[in-house]
Amino acid sequence: MARVVVLGGGIAGHTAALHLTRMLKRSDEVVVVTPNSNWNWIPSNIWVGVGKMKTDQVTFKLGPIYKRKGIEFHQALATAIHPEGGPQRPGPYIDVIYTDPARAGEHGELDYDYLVNATGPKLNFGATPGLGPDGHSYSVCTAGHAVDASAALQAAIQRMKKGERQVLVVGMGHGTCTCEGAAFEYAFNVEHEVRQAGVRDLADIVYLTNEYELGDFGVDGLTFTQQGFQTTSKLWTESLFRERGIRAITGAHVMSVEEGVVHYEQLDGSANSLFFDFAMLLPPFRGVDLHAYDADGADITDELFAPNGFMKVDADYSGKPFEEWRAEDWPSTYQVPRFPKIFAVGIAFAPPHQISRPRKSPSGTVISPSPPRTGMPSGIMGKLAATNIAEMIKHGDSAQIRTASMADMAAACVASAGSGLRQGSAASMTMYPVVPDLVKYPNTGRSLEDTFGEIGLSGHWIKLLLHYMFIYKGKARPGWHLIPE
Amino acid sequence: MDDTEANIARAPLPTDKTLRARKNLFIQFGRFLAINTKMLKIIRKEHR
Repeated sequence: MARVVVLGGGIAGHTAALHLTRMLKRSDEVVVVTPNSNWNWIPSNIWVGVGKMKTDQVTFKLGPIYKRKGIEFHQALATAIHPEGGPQRPGPYIDVIYTDPARAGEHGELDYDYLVNATGPKLNFGATPGLGPDGHSYSVCTAGHAVDASAALQAAIQRMKKGERQVLVVGMGHGTCTCEGAAFEYAFNVEHEVRQAGVRDLADIVYLTNEYELGDFGVDGLTFTQQGFQTTSKLWTESLFRERGIRAITGAHVMSVEEGVVHYEQLDGSANSLFFDFAMLLPPFRGVDLHAYDADGADITDELFAPNGFMKVDADYSGKPFEEWRAEDWPSTYQVPRFPKIFAVGIAFAPPHQISRPRKSPSGTVISPSPPRTGMPSGIMGKLAATNIAEMIKHGDSAQIRTASMADMAAACVASAGSGLRQGSAASMTMYPVVPDLVKYPNTGRSLEDTFGEIGLSGHWIKLLLHYMFIYKGKARPGWHLIPE
Repeated sequence: MDDTEANIARAPLPTDKTLRARKNLFIQFGRFLAINTKMLKIIRKEHR
């Protein structure tokens, strides 16, 4: 009998846990530890943020699903890993603090044979003074945040209906943010809503981003073929901004947010301020505050985690200069080298370097997107960890370990630009590989055959289809495993 | 950066025909099938 503990119930963790239930024997145990009681299909939060969906359309309770699937569920926050056990406990275990209202604040220890760290990000609003729901801007990172953003947006629309001009700022709240695609989506959904409300002429919409240029999306942009020509996501995105009348400020690091004003530094060293009536600015991410201890109780957190709190896995963390970056630097099994029974997947693993070219302002401020590893890549990594753990349990040392490096992984992304079955639109994109491989694809780093982009109503239908498919899959309804990650 | 506004101002605008095609239900249904096929191809490659 083996006991697998999954930390985190997001896309990566939930995917890993569900696949483990069908890959392992009934006598094996699958345990999920997550501080949240709900699962959230985060890609649809942008629709909650403009009032097109309600919270219960993008979330559902994890408890009943885990009960049905025979998964042991602990609504708790993991605080420490003891991969070698401890002075009073021989085998590997983790420390948790319960967030379940029935056991709130209670400490616990949970044994494991295999551990999947899929804890996702800590929303690091504190990195920028005044950023976030406790400060002066909104977020769509959680369904609750999105509800608040929607209410504030509706208030701004009401003011416009009374004839007041409003400045609506959407973007990234720090120079090292990731998920530019989500901010892009929200900016265009806000524009769509304002237009639908008949007050577009009174809205100045500004997209404020840490990307060096539009269309970077944290993956150094895309090149694809369109009507016999190679074009770039930069040109494509700029065209969309022109068409929809959205201003853009690029290469920006938000230094602070005050009531109605955001202060930012740009890559050229200039410091600027932008006044706003409504601002949705995403936070930077860091790893959750997990610690690690060896058998003697000595702190080995620095060995297992990078300074940004993400877990170090089978990647090259030597900090090579940009010119020496290679596809092989990226992890392929997501195992912790010293403890191969620990996996870190989704946002929880530490990327070896950015995907976009790193840049700094003259004062040394890093203004460069962090690598995105959400959505499809997260699900693929979660399934990979489950597959390899099942293989290791069944075959021990002779296990055939599978790989799924982001430098050999495709991703499909549908960025909404407005909702509505007849009036909606979205940018549908695929890329292969996610991390450019200039050895394999010397011209653009990616396969031109498998990298494409297209805007239209069909993209909205696809995003809506994905919403219902992944909610169905997340609920582990019959045949859920046939829906790919 | 400072060029961004200028780049947006110079970016090609879609023609009226393109804008109509992006909303046309028949064309978009065809694109829906075509894009899903492309995505399935990518996904099959991923799950091979």
